Amino acid sequence: MIQIQTHPETQRVADSFEPKIVGFLCNWCSYAGADKAGGAQLSYPPNIRIIRVMCSGRVDAQHILQAYRNGADGVLILACHAGDCHYQEGNYRATERHRMLLRLLSQFGIEEARCRFDYVSAGEGEKFVRVVSETVEAVRALGPLTRPSASGG
Amino acid sequence: MRTGVYLCRCGTNITERIDFERLTEELSKQAGVAYVKPVDFLCAEDGKQFLETDLGEERPERVVIAACSPREYERAFMQVLERSGMNPYFLQIANIREQVAWVTPEVEQATSKACAQIRGAAARVALHEPLFKTELAVCRDVVVIGAGPAGLKCALTLAEAGRKVVLVEKSPVLGGLPVRYEDLFPNMECAPCMIEPVQAEVLHGPHSANIEILTLAEVSGLKGYYGNFQVTIRQTPRYVDAEQCIGCGECITPCPVSVSNQFNFGLDSRKAIAVPFLGALPNAPFLDAAACLRGKGEECTLCRDACPVENVVRYDEAERTIERSAGAIVVAVGFGLYDCRSLPELGYGVVPGVYTSLEFERILASNGPTGGELKQPEGAAPQSVAIIHCAGSLDQQHRPYCSGICCDYAFKFNHLIEKKLPGTKVHHFYKELVMPGKEEFSLYQDARENPHAAFLRYVSGGVRVTGSEGGAAVEYRDSAGNQGRIVADMVVLCPAVTGAPGGVALSRILGASRDRFGFFEELHGRMDSAQSRIKGIYLAGACQAPMDIQRAVNQGMAAAGYVLSGLAEGRKLEIEPITASVDETRCSVCRTCGSVCPYQAISYPPESRGASVNALLCHGCGTCVAACPCGAIRGNHFTNEQILAEIEAVLA
Repeated sequence: MIQIQTHPETQRVADSFEPKIVGFLCNWCSYAGADKAGGAQLSYPPNIRIIRVMCSGRVDAQHILQAYRNGADGVLILACHAGDCHYQEGNYRATERHRMLLRLLSQFGIEEARCRFDYVSAGEGEKFVRVVSETVEAVRALGPLTRPSASGG
Repeated sequence: MRTGVYLCRCGTNITERIDFERLTEELSKQAGVAYVKPVDFLCAEDGKQFLETDLGEERPERVVIAACSPREYERAFMQVLERSGMNPYFLQIANIREQVAWVTPEVEQATSKACAQIRGAAARVALHEPLFKTELAVCRDVVVIGAGPAGLKCALTLAEAGRKVVLVEKSPVLGGLPVRYEDLFPNMECAPCMIEPVQAEVLHGPHSANIEILTLAEVSGLKGYYGNFQVTIRQTPRYVDAEQCIGCGECITPCPVSVSNQFNFGLDSRKAIAVPFLGALPNAPFLDAAACLRGKGEECTLCRDACPVENVVRYDEAERTIERSAGAIVVAVGFGLYDCRSLPELGYGVVPGVYTSLEFERILASNGPTGGELKQPEGAAPQSVAIIHCAGSLDQQHRPYCSGICCDYAFKFNHLIEKKLPGTKVHHFYKELVMPGKEEFSLYQDARENPHAAFLRYVSGGVRVTGSEGGAAVEYRDSAGNQGRIVADMVVLCPAVTGAPGGVALSRILGASRDRFGFFEELHGRMDSAQSRIKGIYLAGACQAPMDIQRAVNQGMAAAGYVLSGLAEGRKLEIEPITASVDETRCSVCRTCGSVCPYQAISYPPESRGASVNALLCHGCGTCVAACPCGAIRGNHFTNEQILAEIEAVLA
């Protein structure tokens, strides 16, 4: 199991710090919403790395933990709005798993803002930009996620 | 692994923001990347031709295309791979236009982000496995459940296209509920005149040989899945050979039994052997075994004795269990009305003279309990009628929705009341008036112009029907808070339209879910309202939502369209390979996967050591993969290894 702590002196580096965010986007709504932002040429911080999954319900806790382990300072999970899931209720499963994961993350001292769940529809390019921007700023304020060595604790 | 990377310039759309030189340099350092090639417009015919030729020459093992969104051209590029002899799933698209170039003004930043996304794609694609579409031989026959307007039109359309259809109807008569109405909104067309030609086509038309009609029959079991269903149908005996019967009705007169007539909602009685109503098709009586004296042990043969044709009345018929194969099933079982006994303030079943709209339809019908005379079945003609719209509708305590048809038929009632008994007072109590459509306004206008009609708007709970000397009394509090009272000889309730009676049992048998109101649940409210959530089970008519005949028939036709395109002649059913699969050795049969699968694609066959995913039913969402506590389920093309490799590489 990986063990991660937030660095106690994060504020000092906040200004020069560019957080890395991994965004898991469902194919049908949120990924299309991100494309919509692109089509409208809305710019947003380049900090996000997008991973496309067919459904937010496919996102597994281990994917999120892997992102932290590999250097992500924050994770975004974006899903279809309630009732709009292409697969009926995958987004509902994803919210349930996210809620559970937050409890686990808090035990590792990982702040909630580092693991955001939100809904972005295929038409919500502007919302996508807003959510990404807010997440980048929130994580920037928290500072880098520090990862003690695997043996450390 | 030799991965070829193609960078699409997209004119200057991408290169304006992304430095291809730096990108090429960085990517070339990546392990596994055999070459990086910029192309002008990869999506153009020239571009695809170049790609095909180049793949033939370079022979990479995997391909990354960095271009626009995979939502645009992924399918097209997969076809190019296929044409060049590669497995089409050996491709990964990095979206560097919509998700990088167009949203990142700084070249430096855009190039870095593009590089990360392409690295992720390359790391992922190295782990892609060859996937293949599989094909399945299918049965092209169809079982249509319910012979109302939606089911009839669906069956007829399929039969005309040469399909074998089994039409399963639980009552002894075709036509559903509308065939029992005298006239229809919006233009007062005679209902039997509209439906009978369709029934005639189904029964005796040039394609009728393709339709097997099973009346008094219900689906009692279902096995299999899309393309290969096994449907079990239980048929109650009619005790009359409908094929040989000449429809003279001689058998009915001598029958000594009298029971409540459900075809007129209990407003009159019928014999134990009866036709549901005059003009019912098939034109043959049925014998109600529960009412017949023979069922009580008496040796009565009066009906058979009266029958002028040999061996048409058959007391020895027994219940039949019929098995039919079908590739698809259409559910067209119609609707019910909200039980007005749940609205005690409206007096239904307690105050004399209070009827539901369906009962009133029969009172207006010339083949109904009063022969079409507007009067109470055991009483006089009314001098005033109160029509209470929205009974149980637009009410959070009962049904929050508007059924959308009640105003239309309520104004039809207004028209018929004025026509049959000119001068009769008609009070419309309504919460909202709703009659969309290009023709529907005319009956409303007609009602508004009727000098004997009054309109009163009420809110939920604002109307109370009680018994009174002069008939029924309607006390009301209108929407402005004014209170009043009128006396009416007849009160007609327009209850909320609900899911079909029997829908619960049928939904359980078919595995097709119902929504929170009890209607069969559609795959998508607007794009796929004629499909259930189970592949191969389609929905038509008011069993899916309250609707008028026009919409119901359209849905019947839509369901036929799905069947004809999905189970097309001369083609096998293609199964997409992006599905889940189970490693039985790791499965603990905890059944978590089955509980999260929205498509009932997962079963636990006794002969198997673990869960089993039906690839045909699986939509490939991956929810079960994430839910499996043992990691025993694999999501093809979205495996953990592939996703984890992509995460690692985009962060590198």
